[in-house]
Amino acid sequence: MTDEVERLRGELDLLNRKLAEAHKMASLGRLSAGIVHEINTPIGSIFSNTEVITRSLDKTKALLQQALETGSAPPQKAIDILNIVSSLNDVDKLACERIAGVVRSLKTLARVSSHEVRNTDVNELVCHTLKLTKTVFRQRVEFVQETEGVLEAECYPGLLGQVILNLVVNAAQAIDGEGRVTVRTRELGDSVHIDVSDTGKGIRPEDRPKIFQAGFSTKPIGEGTGIGLALSREIIVDTHRGSIGYDSEPGVGTTFHVKIPTQQQKKGE
Amino acid sequence: MQNGEQPAVLLVDDEEMVITSIRAFLQLETEYEVIGITVPEEAVRHMETNPVDVVLSDYLMPKMTGLQFLAKAKELQPEAARVLLTGHADKQSAIHAINDVGLFQYLEKPWDNSQLLLVVQAAIERTRLLRTLRTKVMELDEAHSNLKDVQSRLLRAFL
Repeated sequence: MTDEVERLRGELDLLNRKLAEAHKMASLGRLSAGIVHEINTPIGSIFSNTEVITRSLDKTKALLQQALETGSAPPQKAIDILNIVSSLNDVDKLACERIAGVVRSLKTLARVSSHEVRNTDVNELVCHTLKLTKTVFRQRVEFVQETEGVLEAECYPGLLGQVILNLVVNAAQAIDGEGRVTVRTRELGDSVHIDVSDTGKGIRPEDRPKIFQAGFSTKPIGEGTGIGLALSREIIVDTHRGSIGYDSEPGVGTTFHVKIPTQQQKKGE
Repeated sequence: MQNGEQPAVLLVDDEEMVITSIRAFLQLETEYEVIGITVPEEAVRHMETNPVDVVLSDYLMPKMTGLQFLAKAKELQPEAARVLLTGHADKQSAIHAINDVGLFQYLEKPWDNSQLLLVVQAAIERTRLLRTLRTKVMELDEAHSNLKDVQSRLLRAFL
């Protein structure tokens, strides 16, 4: 009987993780339009620059050839063109770094390493999450990461990353017009605290008892699945033995408080 | 601005790298004056005092969208041709609002330099033609008014 319960618990655990994984991919998919835009801009520059550099080199070559044939000094125009090439080279470097940064963030958040506990830099997870979320909301929402440096905790990084992503996207979606989303992390005793605050519309008192229930959503169809917070609660409370709660004031904003132990207990402890 | 003067192209994009790339291309291929500004509000201030032939604006920018900016540009310099340069993600909303600001052209990112050059050249030609037309209409108005003056003086002389 005990074995059967243990087996069913294991199966349920596996299904929950698969659901969490699917939800994470859906969340990242919703950011795809912003990510595409974020990558398209540097790609546009690189495409253009490559062509301009080719044209520039042809022109420079012709100018230098002409100077050589007439025995005159290299013309100023050739130097001007080489200066343009040099500035485009700098832009290309920045553009490549930007694309690489987005890809790095995507790789970090999309990795399928949900099944193992690892020592993880929570601040790095926050940084990657904000970088991707910013691609969608940057025109109207300012994203602030208050804590820099390394903040390590033993956790399931894929799952914790998903919780942070859920909370940050929810926070941005709660803001009508312009506003700010702030993520603050800190270590207190043997716990890591992650607070996600927004200057949005707040949670209505009548919605508060239901927000952690699966299937409940206040978002328009297509924007929310209604399982983000239910999954987040499960990941934090059941999987990491932590806690999740919030303070909210209508018209002022909401802060979600997540707390997980810095060390995870071994199975059976 | 007189039609013989160097054409002025105003680039507005919150991404410095886009401005640098397009400016480099136009500087290499043309003799245009290219002004690049990353903040739409600053670009509005620029247009209050400086005539331009073409305004090439990004769509998604903080504080002010490209369409809001181009609407201001239309108020300030209605003859300056307006071109929207936008990423695929915001194409739909841009298309809906194209008529509001009387866009000359719509270009997508990543852009094609040859196409961009053709659009800018055509836009400058259109702006210059509009300005010439305005000058001619003004000259015609003035000639008409002179003629009416002569006519009334003639009438006064004979009657």
